[in-house]
Amino acid sequence: MDDLFSPNVMRWVLLAVLAAPLAFAAVLAVGGGNPRVARRLAGLFAALHVGLTAWVVIPAAVMIAEYGAMNNGEAYKHFRPVFVPGDTGDGQEHRTAWSLFFVGKPTPNAPPPAVQFYIGLDGINVWLVALTSLMTFIAVAVSWGFAQERAGGYFAWLFVLQSAVTGAFLSFDVILFYVFFELTLIPAFFLIGGWGVGGGKRDAARKFFLYTLFGSLLSLVGLVGIVLTNPTPPGGWRNNTQSLKQDRGTLSFNVNDLMRSTVRISIEHEYAIADAGVKLEQAKPLDQSGRDSAEAELAKAKAARDGYKSTQFWLFFLLVAGFVVKVPLVPFHTWLPAAYAEAPPAVTLLLSALLAKLGTLGLLRIVIPLCPHMAVEYGLPVFGTLGAIGIVYAAFCAYAQKDVKMMAAYSSVSHLGLLALGLFALNPEGLTGAVLHMVNHGLTAGGLFAVIAILYDRYRTTDMTQLGGLMARHPALAFFTFVICLAGVGLPGLNNFVSEMMLIGALFTPWNAAAMGYGLAVAAAAGIFLSAWYTFTMLRSVFFGPVRTPALAADAPPPDLSGREVLAVGLIAALCLALGLYPQPVVDVVKGDVAVVAQTLKHARRVVNPDLADAEDRQSGMEQQPISVNPTLIPAGGRGGPPAGGPGGPPRMPQQPPR
Amino acid sequence: MTPLSNQAFVDHLTASVRFVLPEVALVGVACLLFTLAALRCSRSLAMAVALLGVVGAGVIAILVPEPVGQVNPALAPIDPTGAASFIRWLALVAAAVYVLLGWADTRTDTPAEYHACLLVAAAGVSLVGRANDLVSLFLALEMLSIPTYVLLYLPSRTRTGQESAMKYFLLSVLSSAVLLFGFSYLYGLAGSTNLHVIVTTLASAAPHKELDPAVSPLAVVAMVLVIAGLGFRVAAVPFHFYAPDVYEGGPTGVVAQLAFLPKVAGFVALARLLGVMSAHGGGLPYDTQHTLIPLTLWVVAVVTMSFGNLLALLQDNLKRLFAYSGIAHGGYMLIGVLVACTAPPASADQSGSDALLFYLVAYGLMTVGAFAVLAHLSAPDQPVETVDDLAGLGKTNPLAAAALAVCLFSLIGLPLTAGFVGKLQLFLAAFQVPTDTKMKSLFQVLTVIAVVNAAVSAVYYLRIVGVLYLRAPFRPARPTRTSPQLVAAVVCAAATLVLGMYPQPFADLTRKAAPVVAAR
Repeated sequence: MDDLFSPNVMRWVLLAVLAAPLAFAAVLAVGGGNPRVARRLAGLFAALHVGLTAWVVIPAAVMIAEYGAMNNGEAYKHFRPVFVPGDTGDGQEHRTAWSLFFVGKPTPNAPPPAVQFYIGLDGINVWLVALTSLMTFIAVAVSWGFAQERAGGYFAWLFVLQSAVTGAFLSFDVILFYVFFELTLIPAFFLIGGWGVGGGKRDAARKFFLYTLFGSLLSLVGLVGIVLTNPTPPGGWRNNTQSLKQDRGTLSFNVNDLMRSTVRISIEHEYAIADAGVKLEQAKPLDQSGRDSAEAELAKAKAARDGYKSTQFWLFFLLVAGFVVKVPLVPFHTWLPAAYAEAPPAVTLLLSALLAKLGTLGLLRIVIPLCPHMAVEYGLPVFGTLGAIGIVYAAFCAYAQKDVKMMAAYSSVSHLGLLALGLFALNPEGLTGAVLHMVNHGLTAGGLFAVIAILYDRYRTTDMTQLGGLMARHPALAFFTFVICLAGVGLPGLNNFVSEMMLIGALFTPWNAAAMGYGLAVAAAAGIFLSAWYTFTMLRSVFFGPVRTPALAADAPPPDLSGREVLAVGLIAALCLALGLYPQPVVDVVKGDVAVVAQTLKHARRVVNPDLADAEDRQSGMEQQPISVNPTLIPAGGRGGPPAGGPGGPPRMPQQPPR
Repeated sequence: MTPLSNQAFVDHLTASVRFVLPEVALVGVACLLFTLAALRCSRSLAMAVALLGVVGAGVIAILVPEPVGQVNPALAPIDPTGAASFIRWLALVAAAVYVLLGWADTRTDTPAEYHACLLVAAAGVSLVGRANDLVSLFLALEMLSIPTYVLLYLPSRTRTGQESAMKYFLLSVLSSAVLLFGFSYLYGLAGSTNLHVIVTTLASAAPHKELDPAVSPLAVVAMVLVIAGLGFRVAAVPFHFYAPDVYEGGPTGVVAQLAFLPKVAGFVALARLLGVMSAHGGGLPYDTQHTLIPLTLWVVAVVTMSFGNLLALLQDNLKRLFAYSGIAHGGYMLIGVLVACTAPPASADQSGSDALLFYLVAYGLMTVGAFAVLAHLSAPDQPVETVDDLAGLGKTNPLAAAALAVCLFSLIGLPLTAGFVGKLQLFLAAFQVPTDTKMKSLFQVLTVIAVVNAAVSAVYYLRIVGVLYLRAPFRPARPTRTSPQLVAAVVCAAATLVLGMYPQPFADLTRKAAPVVAAR
């Protein structure tokens, strides 16, 4: 029995979680001619996959939580994925030996840099992988009546989409991530274009594909640039005495190496400047040539630092492009209304519950760790502001919609704006809240779209003007809808409350005047209020009042939920409740790897804005001193006065992760 | 002293016959085919003979050893090192695919002539890869051009076909003249027609000009003329005007050749003249210490890809669309030429020349695959000309539609296709050029421009994919038949996927073929 859960087996199970949907898709594409057979097969496969995922996710979560507890408040320097296929050295290395593609030629000392098949589970992605499997199962369950025509192809593409999304969540290699990220486009294109429910489905599919592709191609250049400007030091990580000047080092494509390189390179630039500064001070006043050379060295070091910074600046904006389109943040969301409206309801479910998370996960896994300095400098002012604008704008758009599906679409944009805003607060509360909110938003938004799919199945419309009083006709559906909607608006005791409060709490960081100064938290709080407004308006119009249904369904009132549908929405409602009442186990798993990102950001903050870093340290009680960049960079204390904003933040949440 | 009194030179001249035996075999089979043509040979016989000729040339290439070590590049007119054997195998495989593709075009009464011309053209491409002398290089390029004139004319019984053949002929002759003019300057500068000597002379001459840091102005003029002459072959803007018209009027199989073979020949010739893709390498005469030639290539690359993509957006005719698409991809490949010839990479980095070779092959697979599908679908009574003619192909002809879709996704550059790996290598190569040269960060800017172009190109490729799968067919479904063209299309699509999913072995081949030239 023990063997079944040994890491060696788990690695293969993890691979199976990634590859099995492709096999399912192949079977369905070949043998799915009959819709009745196809949907049963699809249901069976999706359930199997949930079992497979549970087999690997639960032990992984236990293991990750243990790692998180083991590190004694000291964050690791890199993510520690477990169950990495091709792990070198007995699972302790957390890296893989499976190289896909070598770039360049081998050097005498090292193998050539390689794009690797580097996947694994860590605190950030483990729940998202579980969410993917679950949501695909629910999408299949609510597509039961929808897929009559070419059912085999429909379910096959659903599984291909699942595989691509899972792959992107699992990837720790930037190019591998990009590959899976792009591959989601093909199934989504065919699902929207081929099985869409509106007249403009082909245009919607193309728009979706092209917008996302445009953004992600820019991200590809950003990734290439990040890889090229952040080589791994020649002597490996242990050998910190090696300096940049001697050897450029080897390229690496994995997130862990890149994240450590970017911290290290910026620190070395600061060291070089400080060194030169000290030399200049020590040079004798009359030693003109000595002063000149010291000055030249200082100027050179500064130029090198500025060059690196300006490169990072451009790379940050290139990198972020693909993800803000995918999330989407507000000015880049214009593909979304068409795609969500025209897609089959179950596909809209996946778009909102899973594909949007690719964007936010990309921000958290790729953009923030690999460009930490620019994220500190521009994250909140630029993308936080966009997020805040999006929260309010999309909330008003949601209120204005006449179609339940469109309301849910804009509501999704609004909530994701909040997620991005909290994420760019760049403190542990915000990052943890963001990871948690990815899961919670997946459940609530996914649940709402599942309800919409069920409604569409009954009435072939989701127009609020044509639907009313459904409470009387479908009491069970109404009950679950209420639970899911209440979770969506953040009622205490349900899941969204926890993560939304963490995200808003992150904006009230007393040490970060910048976060307060923009009044972003006000927008976030307003968003929660507005979300209650439009959600309850929708509920009143659709579920209360006199019964109103479209003519075609009038003579034979459709039944209430079937057992299969109760399972689908009931599962979501139950999870919403469970995560709302007792989120601590989930947070425990998340916190270890979030601390890795937070640590990177701390280093970045010390380089970008030493005052802020000091304020942060004071606030956290000087528990630990992060590695000091240079004595000259850390003011002797008290410079800049007490942190603006003061201790006037809101009461901290009980779920706040320990630092 | 005449060259003939130099015994080493004469020895090298004699020995070089050994290095062109497969090409001789190809031309020999072509002569046989021309003879058969007089006897009214059937198209299956012509096809069989041509395929046998290609296979025979391949066998000779394997069996005859090439004593590479004995070649002195400063004397030999044929240099079998560097990319030479890579290009030879590329030409042979391409010839085999084109023979299959020619099935549709040889319905007329000239199948033997068609295949004979094809073999001569393939021999020409192969020779471009190994020519080490201005004269042999020019002859190799003409060996490619002249059969193409005939090929364009042979199956064309229509006015537009004849017009396109005539247009190609006149412009091609003009470009050859420009190229020769440039060659004459190179000869004048170096005092030799040997490529190795020319490159070495120019590369070693430049550092003496510390006070006036520019390569000899004459060398720049020569190179601009060469770029103009070869720009016609690779359909670089502004030498691209013939492409859409000729593609539209030409027979599909020939157009597929026109889309690929001249590009191979043009890029390889350009790279050789600029000093890379030979194992001996005489240095880089036009590196980033001087901006004139790098900047010229930069501008040509940017204009070529942008024009190609923007104009392709407006096309409804499939062949015109692929003409502009080919122009745009030529622009991407120019990035490879530019990086390879102006910025030698550090030891462990991605080099521009193997990225160029990889992209050439990837481009060939996806474009020829797409043309093969068109050739398969076209029937004399029901030609496939516009994008709308492909409506609903996913239902009526799933295999052909799938092959075309794979090629289109590869042209977009989606992962798991050869197009993605090719683009990734090009971007890596261009982005890592140091920014402290005189070109500043222009290479990085170029990468971003290329990426924006790739996104624009997705618009028109995706439109075709949408038409294939998301529209109802408005033509009656024909009974599916297997044709040699379909075989060629499936082979190309499958190879595209294989190169995309497991590129390592092939990338190793390109790396071996494109040795890195050290900076001077």
